[in-house]
Amino acid sequence: MHEMGIAIEIYRTCREAVREHGQGRLQRVRIAIGELSAVEPDLIRFGWEAVIVDGPDAGAELEIDWCKADQRCPRCNESKDRSEGSWLRICPDCGTPLEVRGGDELDVLEVTFETDDDAAPP
Amino acid sequence: MKTIVSIRRKALAASEEHAEELRGRFAESGTLVLNLISSPGSGKTTLLETTVGRLAERYRIAVIEGDVATERDADRIRALGVPAHQVLTGGACHLDARQIETALETADLLPADILFIENVGNLICPTTYDLGEDFKVVLLSVTEGDDKPLKYPAIFSRADVTVITKADLLPYVPFDLDAVLEHVKSLNPSGTIVIVSSTTGDGVDEWCDLLVERLGSKRES
Repeated sequence: MHEMGIAIEIYRTCREAVREHGQGRLQRVRIAIGELSAVEPDLIRFGWEAVIVDGPDAGAELEIDWCKADQRCPRCNESKDRSEGSWLRICPDCGTPLEVRGGDELDVLEVTFETDDDAAPP
Repeated sequence: MKTIVSIRRKALAASEEHAEELRGRFAESGTLVLNLISSPGSGKTTLLETTVGRLAERYRIAVIEGDVATERDADRIRALGVPAHQVLTGGACHLDARQIETALETADLLPADILFIENVGNLICPTTYDLGEDFKVVLLSVTEGDDKPLKYPAIFSRADVTVITKADLLPYVPFDLDAVLEHVKSLNPSGTIVIVSSTTGDGVDEWCDLLVERLGSKRES
């Protein structure tokens, strides 16, 4: 399981973003995970909880945008509906290699934090 | 006061910055870098021993070994007179670019023509981490079973090269080679597949030619 390490990196990225824009306690974080990123959202949630528990950002919510890949056949000239998380890059109708766009996202999109003017920096 | 900041930043940005720095360093030294990924016991170290035997006279080869514990793999490579550094992950299931930086600081590995990074034996976690390599190589031994590409599609679709190993055992195991070749092609239409046996030497020339050719194209570009 590599999601724990990724959750730690997500947390670091969020803390850095907060530092760049002030200081305060994380409230909500929105991330993007692609269906072809080889990362399991439930395990990221589990890792996130483990990372923030007992810390200054305990209770911060993690919101996950699940991003599907666009798998387009250049010969049929259309996007193909693939089953969830399909990695097969061959057009199911004509056998041409598909052009895959997106689906590999693993991004922090938005960080919401609460400034507490009296609080010392975490 | 509540502040919302939109950032859209790679979650692994910190690790990926290190990978890019490494890539720059390898470009400068003209080193071809491969990230070898497979299950434990598929023959990564044995293939490296065979490769060193074929190429070490003409090319400077260096190896970084990733394992949870022991110096065994690095010892095997050093015994052949090739510089090797063992990264011990102490339980972590993959190597990270920062560990490669430390390895380069600790051991005299560069300048080299080809640097092999043998990742921790695991078909899942190493897939996500960029080590600054030119390309990933996935190994699949015929004794592991022919269902692995479809069961672990991420690595087979991301590795430029798939090496089927222990091919000398094909007559003794139920491994449908044609099906595997078809599955790998479906997952990775532009990838290259090499079939080798480190024991008999079959396919090793093809594998070494591929390395030399990739080294040549890297240096031309």
